[in-house]
Amino acid sequence: MYRQAKYDEPLLFELSKKGRRAHLPPRCDFARDDINIPENMRRTVPPELPELHEGEVMRHYVHLSHQNYCIDTGTYPLGSCTMKYNPKINETVARMEKIMYLHPNQPVESVQGILEILYELQVALGELAGLKHTTLQTPAGASGEYCGLALIKAYHDDHGDTQRDEIIAPDSSHGTNPASTVMNGMKLIEIKSNEDGRVNMEALKAAVSDKTAGLMLTNPNTLGVFEKDIIEMSKIVKEAGGLLYYDGANFNAIVGKIRPGDMGYDVLHFNFHKTFSTPHGGGGPGAAAVCCNDLLEPYLPVPTIDYDKDKDFYFYNYDRPKSIGKVHGYFGNSAIALRAYAYIAALGFQGLKDTAEHAVLTANYAIRKLEKLDGFRLSHTSEIPRKHEGVLEATPFLRNYDVSGMDIAKMIISRGLHAPTVYFPLIAHEAWMVEPTENENKDRIDQYVQAVSEEMEKAKVDPEYAHDAPKWTSVGRIDSAWSVRNLVLSYKIYKEKKEKGEFVP
Amino acid sequence: MTEEFKEHPYLGNSQQDVDEMLQYLDLKSIEELYSDIPDEIRFKGELDLPHYKSEYELLEAIKAKMSKNITTREVRSFMGGGVLDIYIPALQDEVLRRTEFYSAYTPYQPETSQGTTQALFEYQSMICELVGMNVANCSLYDWATAVGEAALMASRITKRYKFIYTAATAPNREAVLKNYVVGANLELEEIPYDPTTGKMNIAEAKTKMDDTVAGIYIENPNFLGVIEDGLEEIIADAHEKGVKVVIGADMNSLALLKPPGEYGADICIGEGQTIGGGPLNFGGPLLGIIAMQFDRRETRQMPGRIVGVTITANEGERAFANTLETREQHIKRERATSNICTNEGLVALSCAVHLALLGPEGYKDTAETMYLSAHYLVKELEKIGVKRVFNSEFFNTFILDLKIPKSKKQEFIDFMLERKIFPGIPYSNDGENYDYIVTTSYLLCEEDLNDYVKAIGEWRS
Repeated sequence: MYRQAKYDEPLLFELSKKGRRAHLPPRCDFARDDINIPENMRRTVPPELPELHEGEVMRHYVHLSHQNYCIDTGTYPLGSCTMKYNPKINETVARMEKIMYLHPNQPVESVQGILEILYELQVALGELAGLKHTTLQTPAGASGEYCGLALIKAYHDDHGDTQRDEIIAPDSSHGTNPASTVMNGMKLIEIKSNEDGRVNMEALKAAVSDKTAGLMLTNPNTLGVFEKDIIEMSKIVKEAGGLLYYDGANFNAIVGKIRPGDMGYDVLHFNFHKTFSTPHGGGGPGAAAVCCNDLLEPYLPVPTIDYDKDKDFYFYNYDRPKSIGKVHGYFGNSAIALRAYAYIAALGFQGLKDTAEHAVLTANYAIRKLEKLDGFRLSHTSEIPRKHEGVLEATPFLRNYDVSGMDIAKMIISRGLHAPTVYFPLIAHEAWMVEPTENENKDRIDQYVQAVSEEMEKAKVDPEYAHDAPKWTSVGRIDSAWSVRNLVLSYKIYKEKKEKGEFVP
Repeated sequence: MTEEFKEHPYLGNSQQDVDEMLQYLDLKSIEELYSDIPDEIRFKGELDLPHYKSEYELLEAIKAKMSKNITTREVRSFMGGGVLDIYIPALQDEVLRRTEFYSAYTPYQPETSQGTTQALFEYQSMICELVGMNVANCSLYDWATAVGEAALMASRITKRYKFIYTAATAPNREAVLKNYVVGANLELEEIPYDPTTGKMNIAEAKTKMDDTVAGIYIENPNFLGVIEDGLEEIIADAHEKGVKVVIGADMNSLALLKPPGEYGADICIGEGQTIGGGPLNFGGPLLGIIAMQFDRRETRQMPGRIVGVTITANEGERAFANTLETREQHIKRERATSNICTNEGLVALSCAVHLALLGPEGYKDTAETMYLSAHYLVKELEKIGVKRVFNSEFFNTFILDLKIPKSKKQEFIDFMLERKIFPGIPYSNDGENYDYIVTTSYLLCEEDLNDYVKAIGEWRS
């Protein structure tokens, strides 16, 4: 039986009382009245930060933490997001003083250790990608996409093909793909998928032209289906003068098994918080790397981290006249990169390959069991084996019992489990996108499927039970529309509304 | 299953589990699940990756490599530029070590993620307090990308395609700005600063602003350390011409300086690492702050996630959830306000814990110490005849007039390192002679400051 904690925890501001202190920072002996800021620049009203005792701050965050579900609570099979277990040693590694207290502008002689690690990571990622040039400057997957597409645009511009401003992507793609395309000033040409969920080759042939900058494609795709015609696609796009971008969100299915470079891709990004187990942090920070081939190398962001073998010295290379510039203030999320490095070193080549294989095995096991439940069907075709994830559709259940895929997801949450990704990809209906990862063992998957089955049976008898789910979470079903209508976006607005006598919860 | 299969702690299933699952799927090996992949693209070789290590070996190997670094704590650091060495209270790391926070996903299922959503709402609210505005998002990557996002946002709001910024903007932030505006085809123009005061040339800024300009970006204090004045005048002029004013604020300085919201700025951005987001971490992860004054239309142009107050459907209880999601890429795809998905959520939470620990008194204390240390340092350096490049009001950063020739720069770095000092960030207008941008944190004591003065004196003799 599962019960999530519920505290009706007040906001920090509501716990505050004037004069309480939670921390004493170091304080110099200089006379405070030497502060002499011209009146027109001076702050007169201090910010209303909360005033609490130290223990009270801790209690607040412990309460909040109890109201959070996390990967160490239980099964968290979010398709596309890849909720791997976060090895604890990585957190220890990232808390070494030798990483925490490095300023990015320090003399390069004083950061040889971290540069060596980042350089080795670049080499390892280049090997896995089959694309040997790497930048670690991109702080997240979307930033990686933005950077990778900018390389493609820069390449075409540099070759006089300034009219090439179209990126082709299937309608099953991640939302960041079109958004990153537009941020690069390019147009998205969306092509429909086949009945089996793969790229429609005829549509691709029709889409390419002398305006094609490239094809952006994750493989296996978001249905977990491998795009087996990738070589043919690569040919079509390249004959039209375009390049290929690999969205590495799904790389965890093929680590060490297939290299994007060997499939004809020119550039890719890795998500460290997906393939390399770094924590999702409740939204971030993640980190990404972009790897590319010789064609695109001249355009990589500055600086690149390079190694002078003769002097055994790592250095920043700013001498890159064709570079697209900078995509982050410094070198990207180095402390996350360090965790990814530790993960790769803990597994080695064989271990990494095993993670991919086990992720594919658990995904197929889970979806085949779920597919058998009354009310679910596998999206698109049932024939092809899936890779690291699979997408089920709850359409039959909605039709027969008036209970949606989202309702089933909420019922699962009542059981102390986490829902899969729902309603994505957009080409599936009532989508349930399931990705157990290599960490989830067979017993846990069996228990999960059993729980789904039991909840669906309850819903058949009592659809209202489903519509009201989840139960036993710290709060019940949330009405998100209220927040959009009322836009209480800060405590300031909350207080103002309250003072005006408007309803705020 | 491959022949070399071994049971690794990062794999959930043993050989027996694997066999059982294969049996259920009616397969002989995991390989069969890859059978649809053409043989020609299968990778069959070995990769040049290290052999796997035990946890102990791993830790020791990384330690050995990292031992080659010299940290800001082994010397005295006078480096700022947008990030700063800060102290992370023990409690803060205790909270950050809670797996409930760090191993959770984005709160797309808010009923089971109230810890994350409430903490981020509190973060947003504290940022609003610091900058004097009433909307903040729950993070961008860093200050530099926030400049880029703010420029794009100003353009979307005004439907104009020119963006101007002061020449006293940090070069790394300027570089990211230049990169971010390419796609939207924004024209950039620079406003010079006065060579004696280091302050923005107000007359020129006013001339450059017209009804084609989407926004103006001003750092305050600017990258040269100088506190700008005449901002009210600029802002009045900007608003008359429909230009959005974006202030890049040193978040610590706001304990002493008037918050941008109070003097009429439309958007405020900055770096959250320096007010408790986290340690330096070699420049990442950081915390991009972006805030604005609420406006029903304009707030819809904000990039990134925002958490709002909401209610539960049945009980009408207070709850917190992501809101205005129709701005975001997972809903709006090519019409999203930004491509950002994964943000710096845990760093935002960390920053909130830090600010909750400091409270208004602690926040002011740390800022005062930075201010007083910098001013003491300047006074002592002047005593030995070393002056600042710009003789203007400053907070905790100034440029020391050293004019070190390029040929002697390395010698200077080594000289200071021998004395256990990172003297600041080298700064040159012509690439020939180097001055130093000096920043004081609150971790330096009087003795450190005196040592700095002594070392500079020795260098000059």
